[in-house]
Amino acid sequence: MKKYDEDLNTTLIFVSVAYGTWVHVLTQSQAGLFSAVTSAFIIEVNSQLQPDPNDETAALLRVLIHKIDNTTFGNDPPTLPQWTGPPQTIVQAQAILFASLSVSLFSAFLAMLGKQWLNRYASTDMRGTAIERSQNRQRKLDGVITWYFDHVMESLPLMLQIGLLLLGCALSRYLWGINITVASVVVGITSVGVIFYGLVVTAGVASESCPYQTPGARILRCTLLPALPVISKFSAFILSKSRVLIRGTLCYRVVELWWPGWRRPWYSTLNILDYIIWTLLLPIALVADLLRLGCGIVLQLLGSGWMTYRQLVGISRPRRYISDHQAIAPDFRCVSWMLQTSLDRVVHLAALKHLATTTTLAGFDPTIIVDCFNTFISCFSAIGNQMVVAQGLEQLAAVSTLCFFNTISHILVLDPSSSVLEVVGQRYAKVFPTHADFHRVHQFPHTLGAIHNLFRLRHGGPKTFQWIAYKPSAHEHTIVAHNLVKLALLEYERTEQMKIPRWILRFASHSLSLDPLPPTSVIASCLSIVAIDLGCDLSDAKSMTPDERWVHI
Amino acid sequence: MVEANNPDELRSKRKAVMALLPYAVWKERDGQPKMLNMFLRAARASMTLEFRWHYVDQFAGPLFFKARPSAIVLTSPHVSLELLINNPPLVRQWAVAVSAVPYDEEIARSVVNELLWVASSSAISRFITADVWSWLKRRPTLPPTCWGRHLGTSSQVVKVVRGLKDIELLKSYLLLAWSEWNTPRDDGFEEMRVSIREDFCGIGMGRHQTDLIQHLDHVLGELGWGLGYLKQDKPDLSEGQVQNMKRQYQQLREALLEINLKTIARTSSCLVVIPSCVLTQATRIESRAAFMCALPLPCP
Repeated sequence: MKKYDEDLNTTLIFVSVAYGTWVHVLTQSQAGLFSAVTSAFIIEVNSQLQPDPNDETAALLRVLIHKIDNTTFGNDPPTLPQWTGPPQTIVQAQAILFASLSVSLFSAFLAMLGKQWLNRYASTDMRGTAIERSQNRQRKLDGVITWYFDHVMESLPLMLQIGLLLLGCALSRYLWGINITVASVVVGITSVGVIFYGLVVTAGVASESCPYQTPGARILRCTLLPALPVISKFSAFILSKSRVLIRGTLCYRVVELWWPGWRRPWYSTLNILDYIIWTLLLPIALVADLLRLGCGIVLQLLGSGWMTYRQLVGISRPRRYISDHQAIAPDFRCVSWMLQTSLDRVVHLAALKHLATTTTLAGFDPTIIVDCFNTFISCFSAIGNQMVVAQGLEQLAAVSTLCFFNTISHILVLDPSSSVLEVVGQRYAKVFPTHADFHRVHQFPHTLGAIHNLFRLRHGGPKTFQWIAYKPSAHEHTIVAHNLVKLALLEYERTEQMKIPRWILRFASHSLSLDPLPPTSVIASCLSIVAIDLGCDLSDAKSMTPDERWVHI
Repeated sequence: MVEANNPDELRSKRKAVMALLPYAVWKERDGQPKMLNMFLRAARASMTLEFRWHYVDQFAGPLFFKARPSAIVLTSPHVSLELLINNPPLVRQWAVAVSAVPYDEEIARSVVNELLWVASSSAISRFITADVWSWLKRRPTLPPTCWGRHLGTSSQVVKVVRGLKDIELLKSYLLLAWSEWNTPRDDGFEEMRVSIREDFCGIGMGRHQTDLIQHLDHVLGELGWGLGYLKQDKPDLSEGQVQNMKRQYQQLREALLEINLKTIARTSSCLVVIPSCVLTQATRIESRAAFMCALPLPCP
């Protein structure tokens, strides 16, 4: 956004000079100018669009003198000149100049709007929680991506460049009619500029690391590079087909028949017969070939063109990027962004609390696991096998533990071979010893134990794990139960429908023995766990929310 | 699974079924006994002594103090004995629950099963009240495989029952303990023979002797059907066990007949002294029954 703001400032400064000059000139001569430099030139050109009053005055004076003394001009009496309109050169030059001016003014108009859009984007709402403000920011960012804001902003400098090119063309055209030598200088410099720009764009397209990047280069890279394989494939196809096509034509056959005739002596009477046949058959063969092969080529071209178009549309990077970007739920990106950018523990706590309240994790970004994990491990330290929570971080540790458990369970079910799991697993093993003891973490040793077991599920199986005295909040209980159902399903499938891990079954038994009973969603999850172990088909339960599962049960 | 009546599968999935026990008990408390009934059916259908999961033992505290008496009585056999030995208050609470429940065949079966089981431990048998012992007199049909049968024939239990000095209770106990499904333990067997000689010997015991002899005749008759017949209800029974049972029950029967003859002889000698008008109708019937029991056993 900062880059766009600076671009717009440059654009506006560039155009404002022109705009101010243009307004000034407009009031004077009712004509339009592009900039302080070009304004004089445009005035000069503009005057030639109207009849010159001085010419008429001079002609009238000549007529008067002729009336007084008719010998002054000899036998050629002066006549009043008839205005036949401006010269074609002037009209063309002026048309291009006004086109240049219109383009630049339109870019100025967009630049002014762009400034307003950017101001609105940069405005921060100071009301609401950090999560609400962050969501607002995320909504704005999503809008910027969805509505191609960056493309519109990048088109402004491109429009100015087009305006400059038009100005160069107009000057060249105008001066060509007046003086070719002077015009050559302008044409030369304009051509050098165009060639230089072309080279810069080419370099920008060829290499993304090239520092001379322009908006045009980016557009070309997005459209041309994906099309290159298609074009080369198409060329190869045409080349390979053309030989077959030529050999298959009637004309080729006629020439092939006629060719041996060259070996005969020139006086042979057969030559005359050949000549007659050849002149008769060749046009017919040509017409037939044109009809037969022309249609085929056109059809091939249409097919290839359609294929190229489909490929271009399909692999256009910005569109694909937006599609992927939109697939991720905004809340997860928002939380991820807050965890990554903020160093404030309060912000982390707010973001994680929000994540913990999210019941469905559909469309979540796996990188959020790493963000949760970073916060999670920052709250713990190991003294031998004893895990302790850093002082003052008890609340953050509790929430981050729950969020980490929630996200890691989700990805374990969704994509057990995820690279994120590998990375997090390796880092986890470095911080948490194999026989980690969580009893000094009084608030949530069970959830920590469950996380520990999740990693041990992947590396050597879980250790015996008790849920005695586990009395979590309703919310935490729901999340843990919901995830354990999914893990139970996963493990049941993994063990070829034999059994689920006993520590998960113990969780169900413990939860169902609580008095008063836990929320209905937890009961539903626990009953699901038992049902899975009993061999009931609950494959649908994986995608169900706790409430849906309760209805299902 | 329960409907399919597949004991092997039920045994392999007992932990999952046991995990539902706490929830079933709470539902029963709320007036929905369906799940608890299903649980009990599954436990019965599994035909195993060990239809329990030690993890659920931690739930015993809330179960014995918060559940309804009927639920306590019905589910208590699925709590481990070790837990009860270490927690006498649970046994007391169970005894209170037993006193509070009305008679029902299912409940009586569960009470007697648990009673014999608890009585086998000297540490907690003293907490069994007279009310609870009186359930023995109802003589419910115990399942072929249960801890009450398995541990209830130990000398400890026989001694405790004898110590109660209630011949009706002792007779009921022996009628329950002697069955074609279990062999009396060696120490318990000896104690039973002692009991027969000491407790059932005397005037007025003829009726009890006759009942016991008739019961043993029935048991021996059942054992005579062979292993295949018995395995239908107790798959883990072996031929050796059947033979052992036959031998033991035959010995017990002989002991009973022996004291029965002694009783008749004593009664006959008394008849010389006591006028016939003093003889009760009951004594005449007992004597006749005793003679009949002394005849050779009918082949099944």
